[in-house]
Amino acid sequence: MNWLRWIRHGKWEREMDSEMRFHVESQIRDYIRQGMNRSDAERRVRREFGAPELAKDECRDQMPFAGVDHLRGDLRIAIRSLSKNPGFTLAAILTLALGIGANTAIFSVIYAVLLKPLPYRDADRIFVSQVELADRRGPENSGRLAGTIQQYLEWRTEATLFSGIATMRPGRWNVAGDGEPERIDGAVVSSNFFSFLGAPVAPGREFLPEEEMPGKDKVVIISDSLWHRRFASDPNILGRRINLQGEPHEIVGVAPASKVMPGGPILYFHFGPRIDIWKPVAPTTQDLQGESWDQILLLRLKGVENSESGRDQLRTLLNPPGWQRPGRSELIPYLVPLREVISGNVRLRLLLLLGASQLLLLIACTNIAGLLLSRTASRSSEFAIRIALGATRSRVLTHLLAESTLLALIGGGIASVFSFAAVRLLTDRGPAAIPFLSQVRVNVPVLLFTMLMSIITGLMCGAVPAWKAYRRDAAAGLQEGGRAALGGSRAAAIRQVLMGVQIALATALLASAALLLHSFVKVVGADRGYDIERVMTVPLFPTVQGAQRVEFFGTLTDNIRSLPGVIAAGAISGIPVRGDSGSQVVYLGDDVNNTVMLQRPIAGFRNTTPGYFAASGSTLVAGRFFTEHDPVTTAVVSESLASLLWPGEPLNKIPGHTIHQGSVQSPLVSVVGVIRDVRHGAVDKSLLPQIYRPYLPPRIFSDMTLVIKTSAAPSALVPAVRAVIRKADANIPIPAIQTMQEVVSSTVAERQFQMTLTVLFAILALLLAAIGVYGVVSYAVASQTRDIGLRIAIGSTRQEILRRMMSKGMLVVFIGLIAGLAAALAAATGLRSLLYGISPYDPVALLGVAIVLLSTAFCACYLPARRASRLDPMIALRHE
Amino acid sequence: MPRHETETDAELLQGTLDMLILKICALEPLHGYGIVQRLHQISKESLNIRQGSLYPALYRLERKRWLKANWRTTDGGRDAKYYNLTKAGREQLEREQESWKRLCDAISLVLETNE
Repeated sequence: MNWLRWIRHGKWEREMDSEMRFHVESQIRDYIRQGMNRSDAERRVRREFGAPELAKDECRDQMPFAGVDHLRGDLRIAIRSLSKNPGFTLAAILTLALGIGANTAIFSVIYAVLLKPLPYRDADRIFVSQVELADRRGPENSGRLAGTIQQYLEWRTEATLFSGIATMRPGRWNVAGDGEPERIDGAVVSSNFFSFLGAPVAPGREFLPEEEMPGKDKVVIISDSLWHRRFASDPNILGRRINLQGEPHEIVGVAPASKVMPGGPILYFHFGPRIDIWKPVAPTTQDLQGESWDQILLLRLKGVENSESGRDQLRTLLNPPGWQRPGRSELIPYLVPLREVISGNVRLRLLLLLGASQLLLLIACTNIAGLLLSRTASRSSEFAIRIALGATRSRVLTHLLAESTLLALIGGGIASVFSFAAVRLLTDRGPAAIPFLSQVRVNVPVLLFTMLMSIITGLMCGAVPAWKAYRRDAAAGLQEGGRAALGGSRAAAIRQVLMGVQIALATALLASAALLLHSFVKVVGADRGYDIERVMTVPLFPTVQGAQRVEFFGTLTDNIRSLPGVIAAGAISGIPVRGDSGSQVVYLGDDVNNTVMLQRPIAGFRNTTPGYFAASGSTLVAGRFFTEHDPVTTAVVSESLASLLWPGEPLNKIPGHTIHQGSVQSPLVSVVGVIRDVRHGAVDKSLLPQIYRPYLPPRIFSDMTLVIKTSAAPSALVPAVRAVIRKADANIPIPAIQTMQEVVSSTVAERQFQMTLTVLFAILALLLAAIGVYGVVSYAVASQTRDIGLRIAIGSTRQEILRRMMSKGMLVVFIGLIAGLAAALAAATGLRSLLYGISPYDPVALLGVAIVLLSTAFCACYLPARRASRLDPMIALRHE
Repeated sequence: MPRHETETDAELLQGTLDMLILKICALEPLHGYGIVQRLHQISKESLNIRQGSLYPALYRLERKRWLKANWRTTDGGRDAKYYNLTKAGREQLEREQESWKRLCDAISLVLETNE
């Protein structure tokens, strides 16, 4: 630091020096001339001039750089005094590093997911349209639909308040021909998709408008990672052919996946975790005649328009004059900002995590403030001397703040270094459902946040002790002398208050963690209506077409069933959680007109082979499951669908009833069985009634999933199952085989992520609070050593001493606990939407917290109190 | 009148030090020691500045750009820092003299009132 000072104002200092020297020497010369001898003259001048260093200091104070000078001085003193006490310094720095590090890690995720501008052109003007039927409004947006291909085609020209519109929907293809056959996730997009987002396609080009015509759509753009992985970064990639579902497609471009829309769930669509292939949307005549809400419509609002007027225009377009006719409901559009669609569902969880990490940091702060307070108390004579020697009170104040800020900045520095590792862990292990998680980095904004947090933390830790020192009377400090080493009783009182606050904060954090943990246990243990133990799932996409697929699955499931260790096997067009094969209105068999549509329920529909129900562990409530002999005009319905269609009717009367699926013109279908409701979505989402139909023509899904119930752990059977499938079709890609447990765990991944981190923070908070309590009680014991010795000497039993020392600490703990629980109850309503199966006032969680906290605090009080009770009175009395 | 350095120092009214320094520098550019000597001499040895407070005042006035300093060689052949009054300093001096006069008049009025 000194060379810096030299460069910056060395000249200034030297001039000041020589100016004062000149003054002193001139005066001495004058006195000698008046007849004094030299030593008398020198002595007199010294007395008259006063301390030259003091005068210089006052001069420096006049200069504009005085503040910097002071800060540097403060820092120098702070470094010196901190390095004199390395144990304290290390403990404080590590504690703060822990708290700041937790904040840095969480903030890095928040920055990437919620704050960083989306990597698209004019991203804040891009909206996603959603539509709701006025008569079918569900709770909490649950009934909102996305868009149709017709809307895209119409709005492209009619929606004049928007400068552009693009579409996308999930796509998934068997890729074969060159190399291992595999199943690759992608998206079907409008031809302008890349230029709409402003995503570069290089090498190559984006899709041409005419490629939206069926027949001309045999072109694809692939992701850079697929290019590297499957094509070894072939420089001549453009024009190469790739087989999707057995049809050759020309590769016309390569795009960086990070600049295009991320994968994962968006609205009710399930995109793959990585998008590797884009293909142009090319609606067939049949597509254009039907009405399928299977497109995500992205609209860019013109610069001068607001979303309200854009919405009004869509409303007019959706409900053209004369829309009112029976069975037609008004369509209400919504424009949801793109950011909200991509990351809206994780925002609350992430913000709560940030809240938890901030609480942790606050607890760490309280610990350090307590430690600093004791340190200040024991240094009170040092401060008194400094004030007596002419330091101003505000200098002592800034000095203490500089000390704590230095601690926090070093802690922040360590935290930044470790946050690189923490962020790698988060991106590797975090749930895939958090968008942009792979792009989380420790970058400049994150480091700025860390620095800001460090400075705030430092000032907060230093505030209480600095204020205490500021208010202190210099004379009192000097008089207290050695005794002040143990601090005034006021400092002890403040430490007790700090400890109470700390316990309250820790309790609040523990309570949130406990509520989330209990919810998680409930979600995992929830009744889903299907087995998750010892069930294997294999998504399969046969290469054979049409009716041959029925036979393919028939033979395949028979062969698998004959494997030793397999109890049952079947296939379904959409397994719970992962799959979705659509939803339709279900009519009663005697409905003759679609006008009753709004009174009839919407149900998810799935096609199954006869073995599926047994393999998935569905529970039959009435009637029977499918057999091989059931025709396509039969159905199994879920309990909730039955009660919506035939309210009040006993379940065993339901088999034999007839229904229409989709429209009243569709063939009459007779119900053969009723099963208990299956949670096809996540258990914490609303339940959709289900209708199951046999896997028979005319509707043959290509996307089927084998479900195999095994008698032992499914992993042992994987090679055998693989071999059976290979034998049935050598070219079929077999994606990763997962157990049902693994499939389900992906639905709770976000919940688990938040729960795990919150619990981790809460445990750390508990530890810090325990250290805090231990510190305060130890301090009380140390400062009362003489008193305790006296008590023992005059006959107090060790039991009494123990009780006395403990009761004080535990009283504060108890008050803190009550305050913390009250705060947690008040805050719990904010958590409500994230809880499952328990109320925010869940007694199990709150009681658990109270027990854990009290027992931990008890131990923390007991250790130092026991030490007090074992004091040797003779030694204690001699204690100074 | 028996004189003691520290007493006269205390008698210097708060805020008048700046005015006196400006006034003395208005006569001719001087170095710090010269300012002390000149004040001592002009006030017929009744005003004395504690040297410790002179320099902070000089630096303060310099920062406010009322004084401008430059290094010159003294008659005795040594380098010393001479303080000149600036234009802004002259205006400031006039303002301070004005208000000082008003203050003195007011105080005299009060003190000379009979009864």
